[in-house]
Amino acid sequence: MLISFALLLLGLLGTPLFAIIAASAMIGFLRSEIDLSVVAIEIYRLAEMPVLVAIPLFTFAGYLLGESNSPARLVRLTRTWLGWMRGGLAIVTLVACSLFTAFTGASGVTIVALGALLYPALLQADYDERFSLGLVTTSGSLGLLFAPALPLIVYAVVAQQMNPTPPVRIDDLFLAGLIPGLLMVFALSAWSVWSQRGVVSTAAPFSWPEARASLLEAGWELPLPLVVLGGIYTGYFAVSEAAAVTALYALIIEVGVRREISLTRLPEVMRESLVLVGGILIIVAVSLASTNYIIDAEIPTKLFELIREQVSSKLTFLILLNIFLLALGMMLDIFSALVIVVPIILPIALSYGIHPVHLGIIFLANMQLGYITPPVGMNLFIASYRFERPVIEVYRATIPFFVILLITVLVITYWPALSMVLVG
Amino acid sequence: MTEPPQTGAAAPAGSAKPGSPDPPAGGSGRASAVLHRCEDILLSLLLAAMIFLAAGQILLRNLFETGFTWADPVVRVLVLWVALLGALAASRDDRQINVDMLSRWLPERLRNTVRTVTCLATAAISATVAWHAGRFVSEEMEYATTAFSNIPTWVLASIIPIAFAGIGLRYLLLAAASARRVVAGGS
Repeated sequence: MLISFALLLLGLLGTPLFAIIAASAMIGFLRSEIDLSVVAIEIYRLAEMPVLVAIPLFTFAGYLLGESNSPARLVRLTRTWLGWMRGGLAIVTLVACSLFTAFTGASGVTIVALGALLYPALLQADYDERFSLGLVTTSGSLGLLFAPALPLIVYAVVAQQMNPTPPVRIDDLFLAGLIPGLLMVFALSAWSVWSQRGVVSTAAPFSWPEARASLLEAGWELPLPLVVLGGIYTGYFAVSEAAAVTALYALIIEVGVRREISLTRLPEVMRESLVLVGGILIIVAVSLASTNYIIDAEIPTKLFELIREQVSSKLTFLILLNIFLLALGMMLDIFSALVIVVPIILPIALSYGIHPVHLGIIFLANMQLGYITPPVGMNLFIASYRFERPVIEVYRATIPFFVILLITVLVITYWPALSMVLVG
Repeated sequence: MTEPPQTGAAAPAGSAKPGSPDPPAGGSGRASAVLHRCEDILLSLLLAAMIFLAAGQILLRNLFETGFTWADPVVRVLVLWVALLGALAASRDDRQINVDMLSRWLPERLRNTVRTVTCLATAAISATVAWHAGRFVSEEMEYATTAFSNIPTWVLASIIPIAFAGIGLRYLLLAAASARRVVAGGS
């Protein structure tokens, strides 16, 4: 008990989470008198899960695209095709950021790479300053329900450790995220158009020459979302195959054809992407050990018996789940939250009759909201830092978007069909 | 319509924490710069190998309906290596994922003290993992188990103790750097 408390305190004080999880797993094994070399055996299992191959490959491709001029091309493209509408630039922001986050994972890269282009553009087009700040902050985590976002893959990996019935197939998860993700984009777009209806439109009218030029300019990148998303959603590619194709293609285009990333800079970009990958996968690795301990010690079963005494209905459980996940998303980064909490709540949610794929979507939708939940949501700080605004101002700017997203999260939670209708 | 301003989007990587003071890299001087460069190049080579092997398999399978049986397991082992070496690189300047809830509100001196403690704890835990992973590797060596294509398992697993030992060492250096700041701040 004392040791657990000490570990918790160390964790809250900023000790890397992999160390905290590794320590608690080892303490668990010691108590059960299991030889500690089992930790190494569990870590070695990283080399036995084919789906994990997708994580370094997609992350690298995302970083490579982010470091090239692709973000600017993406903005120009969406701007010419959507920007002529009333509130078009706001919609551009939402759509471009979602696409970008799906490829780079929600790690703050979106705000840094795209926000820097879109925020000044919004101000220039006479959008309200507070609205613009809130919009780019919120857009930073939008899109993590779309394939091939890393959190979806990590959820599938962690959930598969628990062998749930029905099983969690990664393709199902990708399909399940589609409509809820679109709902979020639509709801935020509708709010943006309505709230900025007073803005005198300075947007240029749609022009065919510009539309053609923007298409041509982005020509090399255009096949990427089509091939990757199309390949995954139609089932032509396995996820790890799609990742390999994406990484190789991005490498050839940005380094070989466009030459926006030089060969001398390439190792740096590779290392940066692998720092993120290493940070995520080392947590996944040590949590493979702790998950095993959690299952052995029947912690979910005990917890479930405790909860069942208090919570009888599925509805009450879902409400509690929402509150819990919201607080969690505010405090924990999404990957740590996944590996720490999913092994515990998945069995409990199953016994309340929640489909594990739906649970994944609920989990990630809540986490996404957690990024912009004051006072400590991560994107609030990144935006405050990036746009040099006091964090209090970012809080205020983000609140309307937070409310809209909260409503969509509730819809996603209490309407399972929204997630499950596309899953066979 | 004017073009949006071009930025290189050159910076903070995903796990970089804006707003937090930049900690010094683990170690200093030319020796560590060389070490870092070597690490970067090794990481790049492993990642490049992974990309070409994984993509090559797809090409072979689709065009010639063939492939190498060893390629898939090699790619999976590369995931382990890339992950652990990436984590080692993340430890260079304390960019491991953490929950930074309390320390960001602490006064600077106290924050450095806290950092010394958390870094020491991380170093101790990593060293423990490294030690037991080392035992695992030497057992595999003793029993001469093979993973695939007659490659001994211990070679493939050896990255686990190496990486964790390296991470432990880096956090020890980070702890020393924080401790020095506590002392310097006090005088």
